Amino acid sequence: MRSDDVQTAHVLVIGSGGAGVRAAIEASEYGETLLVSKTLAGKGGCTTMAEGGYNAVLREQDSCEIHFEDTMKGGAWLNDPALVRILVDEAPERVRDLLRWGAVFDVTDSCEVAQRPFGGQRFPRTCYAGDRTGHEMMMTLIDRLHSTDVRVVNEVAVVSLLKDDDRVNGAVGIDRNGDLSVFLADSTVLATGGGTKIYDISTNSSSGTGDGYALGYQAGAELVDMEQVQFHPTGAVFPYDARGRLVTEAVRGEGGVLKNAAGERFMERYDPERMELSTRDVVARAIATEILEGRGTRNGGVFLDVTHLPRTQIETRLPVMLEQFLQFGVDIREEAMEVAPTAHHIMGGLRITAHGETTVPGLYACGEVAGGVHGANRLGGNALADTQVFGKRAGESAGKAGKRTNIADPGQVEAIRKWFDTFAEGDVSPATVVRSLQTAMWEGAGIFRNAADLEKTLGIIDHLGTLRMKAATPMNFVECCIARHMLVHASLVVRGALLRKESRGAHVRRDITQAWDGQTSPYGHTYQSLTRQGIEMGVKP
Amino acid sequence: MKDLPVRVFRFNPGIDEQPHYQHYLVRVREGARVLHVLHAVHDEHDPTLSYRYCCGSGQCGSCAVRVNGEPVLACTEEAREGMTIDPLDLPVRKDLIVDMEPYLAAISSLEPGGEFRMPTLEEVEAIKPLRSCIECLACVSACPALKVIEFAGPTAMREDMRLSLDPRDSRDRVTEAVSDGLFTCTSCQACWKVCPKDIEIPGKAIEKLRALANRKGLTLPRHQSVEKLVRETGRSVDRTETTFLEQIPEVLEPYGEVKGTVGFFVGCMYNMRLPQTALDAMEVLRRNGIRVVIPKEQVCCGSPLIRTGQIEFLQTLQRRNIEAFVHRGIDTVVTMCAGCGSTLKNDYDCPFRVMDINEILLRYEIEPPARLTVKATYHDPCHLLRGQGIRTQPRELLSRVVDLVEMPSVCCGSGGGVRSGVPEEAAALGENRRKEIEKTGADIVISSCPFCEYHIQEHTDRPVKNITTVLLEGYREKDRKMAPKDWA
Repeated sequence: MRSDDVQTAHVLVIGSGGAGVRAAIEASEYGETLLVSKTLAGKGGCTTMAEGGYNAVLREQDSCEIHFEDTMKGGAWLNDPALVRILVDEAPERVRDLLRWGAVFDVTDSCEVAQRPFGGQRFPRTCYAGDRTGHEMMMTLIDRLHSTDVRVVNEVAVVSLLKDDDRVNGAVGIDRNGDLSVFLADSTVLATGGGTKIYDISTNSSSGTGDGYALGYQAGAELVDMEQVQFHPTGAVFPYDARGRLVTEAVRGEGGVLKNAAGERFMERYDPERMELSTRDVVARAIATEILEGRGTRNGGVFLDVTHLPRTQIETRLPVMLEQFLQFGVDIREEAMEVAPTAHHIMGGLRITAHGETTVPGLYACGEVAGGVHGANRLGGNALADTQVFGKRAGESAGKAGKRTNIADPGQVEAIRKWFDTFAEGDVSPATVVRSLQTAMWEGAGIFRNAADLEKTLGIIDHLGTLRMKAATPMNFVECCIARHMLVHASLVVRGALLRKESRGAHVRRDITQAWDGQTSPYGHTYQSLTRQGIEMGVKP
Repeated sequence: MKDLPVRVFRFNPGIDEQPHYQHYLVRVREGARVLHVLHAVHDEHDPTLSYRYCCGSGQCGSCAVRVNGEPVLACTEEAREGMTIDPLDLPVRKDLIVDMEPYLAAISSLEPGGEFRMPTLEEVEAIKPLRSCIECLACVSACPALKVIEFAGPTAMREDMRLSLDPRDSRDRVTEAVSDGLFTCTSCQACWKVCPKDIEIPGKAIEKLRALANRKGLTLPRHQSVEKLVRETGRSVDRTETTFLEQIPEVLEPYGEVKGTVGFFVGCMYNMRLPQTALDAMEVLRRNGIRVVIPKEQVCCGSPLIRTGQIEFLQTLQRRNIEAFVHRGIDTVVTMCAGCGSTLKNDYDCPFRVMDINEILLRYEIEPPARLTVKATYHDPCHLLRGQGIRTQPRELLSRVVDLVEMPSVCCGSGGGVRSGVPEEAAALGENRRKEIEKTGADIVISSCPFCEYHIQEHTDRPVKNITTVLLEGYREKDRKMAPKDWA
C-alpha cells in the first residue's frame, strides 16, 4: 500500500447523521476523535430528513413506564427490554442536551417544549420543530460538533473495517477520486444509519444503502432481526421519480384522515380504536390491502386528507409538507394527498449491549444500524430519540475504552486494492445491479412475504453478487462498493425473513398460520453472523 | 417517458484545461426533476459525470446547481427541455460539485452561555423564519457582493441574526456580523429570490442586524450623515441645483383628453440630482392623458434609513408622505424611483395604491412612439425587478422604441448604502456592469432607477438614460417626422 493518508485517532466514528455526530461529540470528551462521513457532515443520513418528532416523557401526566409499554407493544414485544428501558429513561435528558445547545423546538405559551400525538402512543409525547424536527436537531448537533476538537473527514465512504486478530482497529475509506484512506483507532463506532434504498420505493436519502450492516457483518459482528423492515404507511406516489418520499406521520398526528378511492375512511375496518394513529405496521398493511383489493386511487395510492383542518394549522405545523406538495402542483389545503407505503426504517441491526458494544471487540454501533431497540415495529418519534440516547452511550463507551497501538494489516488493505482492480475489468454498471436489486426486493421481500418469493429473491441477490461490476473510472469505485454493501444488506434481510417463520410486527409471512401474537410468540431475535444464524427460542424475560 | 435535450457543464480541474459543455439527450418520466436528469446522464450515458445529492426531497441542501443561470435545488426543480445545468458560482471541484466547506464553515455556531433559559414562544416564532435554512448555498452563489469584496455571505448573516435573537447564545453576533461584512450587502435581494426556503435575508436579517448595529453605535459615519440630513431637511441628498419640485406646479394637466389622475412621488434623487429625468417623465405622462398631482410637502421615503438600519425617524417620514397624498384624495401614487416604489409598496402601510411608472404606462394604452435607430441594453434595477417583481413591463415599453439587447440582471452596486458606505465595492460592481454593457455592443444603457442610472453612468462611456427619457425621445422623433416641412 502507499504510505500516504493514514489517520489515527482514539475513536473513529463512521457516519454523520444524528447518532454519529452525537457519538462523536461524546467521544471527544475522552480523546482524539475522527468522524468520517460519506456525505458532507450534517447533510447526509436520514436524521436531517426526519420530519415528525422526538419522543420523550416531559410531563407529569406521562411516565416512562407508559412510554416503555407503548414501545414494547408497538414493537410486538420483540424489542430488547433493557434497551427500551434505557431509551425511554434517557430520551428526556438527551432532548435537554439539544435544547442547551440551541435547538429551536416548538414551545407552548408557558415555555415548555410542545408535544403532539403520534401513532401507537397513549400520550402526546412527540416533541417537534414544525415538520422539520430532524433538520433542527442536525443543525444543532453540527453547531455543537464545531465547538469540539473532532476532526471531520467529508465525502469518504468506508468500504471495509480493519481488524487486528479479533478486534476492529480502524477502517478503510475511499474518496470521490478513488483514492484510499486508512483510519486507525482504539475504538470504532458504526453510525451509518439504515438502508431501505435496497427497495424500489423508499423514504431514505441516497446514503441509506445499509453500508453499516455489510461492514459489521463482514467484520464478524452478529446482527439481529434484519427481516424487520418498517414500511412507512404514507409515502408520495406522484410524480414517479419522487415516489416513496416521506409524508410525515405528523400529518395524521395533526388530524389527517385516510380514505380509499370510494371515500371510505377504511381504518375503521382495521383498527377502529386508534384509526389513523394506529401503529405503522397496521396502517401500512391496511393501505396496502386497500390498494391490492382494488380500492386505491388511479395513481396507486389512497387519499390522506387534511383539508378539514384550519389553513393556519397546516401552514405552521406542516410547512415542509405544504411546500413539497405545492412543488408537484398539489395544494394540501385544498385537496387530498395521495399516499402509499414506502420502505422507511430497518429495525434490525448489529446486536448491541446497553453500552453500544457489538459482538466484536473494538466495534460499537448506535442509531439505525444497531438492532434490538425497536423490535418488530418502531414507533414514530422513537428513532430520533434513539440516535441521541444510544449515540451518546456508544460515544462514551468508545471514548472510555483503553488506548492501544494500532497497525493497519497490509494484507487487508492490499486485498481491497485487488478487489478494486476487478472493477476495472467488470462489465455491468453498478447502477444496473442496484436497480435490479431494488425491484427484486420490492416484489419479493416487501410488506407481504412468503417463503417461495423470499427464496426467489435470495436467488436474484446471489446472482447479482456474481456479476462483475464495472467502474468506468476510479471515481466510480465508490459506487461499486456501495452496490456490494447493498447486496450484502439485502441478503441479510431476506435470510432473516426466511428464518422468522411467523408474522410479527412489520414482518408478515402469508404462507404461515400461527396460534400466537407478538406477546405469546415462542420466538425471539433472529441472528446472523459469519459463523452462525438462527432464531432464538423462548427467551422471554 | 420523454426525451429531453440538456446541456451540462463539465470540468475536471486536474485534467481539463478549460470547462466545456456536454450535450445529452436523456429519457425521463413526466414530472422529472433536474436531479433525475443528472441520474439519467450518469446511469445511462456517462458515469463520469460528478454531482452531489442526498435526500432528494429538498431538505439537505446538497444538490444546488444553476439551471439557465438561476440557482435551484436539483431535486425539487422540474427539468426543462433545453436547459443548461451549471455548478453554483463557487470554486468547482469537478463538474457540478463545488467546494462548499469554506462557506459552510463561515456560518456561526451557537455558543451556550453560563445560564440556560428556554426561548419564549415569541422568541421561537421570531427565530423560526430564519431557521429553515438548509445551507444549500444558492444565496452565496447569487450574491454579487461577495464576488468583489470580503463578505461572509447572506446565509452567514442570517445565522448571525438568528443567534442574536436566541437567549442561549453568549456571543455578540452584531459586532461579529459587522466585521464579517454586514455593510457590504447592497440589498439587491438576489439571495432571497433564489432561496428554496424563501428566507427573506435582506429584510429579516441584514436590515435587522444593521438596526441592532445602530443601537450599538456601529452605523457607518457616511450613513449617519445621511440620517442627519434626512432629519434636518427631509431629504437624503443636499440641494445643489433647482429641484424638480421647485420647477413644477402642484397639478400638471395632460395634453388633450384626461384619462386619469395620479399622485406623483418623486424621491430625493430625481428631485435633487436628476430633475430633468423627472421632468421628462412628466411629459410622457401628460402626453398620455394622465393628470399628475405633485404634493410639495412630500419628503424622503425613508429607504436610505431602512436599508442602513436607522429606523428611528422612519415613522415621521411615513406619516408625512401618506398624509400628503391622502389629504388630496389620491387613490393611486406613481413612483419612478425603484427604491422609493419598493419602499412604499413593502415598508409602508399605504391607504392608496402604489404603482411604478412602468406599470402605469402599460395600464393606459399609451401613444406609440417613433422607433429610434439605436441599440440599447436594459439594466434591471434590483428594487424594481426583485423589490417589485417588475421585469416584463419595461421591456415591453422599450421594445416599442429601441432595439433591445439583454444582459444578465446583476446589481450595479449603488444600493443598500454601499455607494456611500463601501465605495470600493460599489465601484467594483459598477465596473462589472461596464463589462457586461460592453459585451452587448449597445449604444445606450436604459434603466428605471436614479441610483442605478447615476452610478452606472460613472462606469460606462455609453449614455445611461431613464426609460421615460427614451420614450420622450421617441415622441419627439415622431413629432419631427410628422411636422410640416414649411421650409422646403
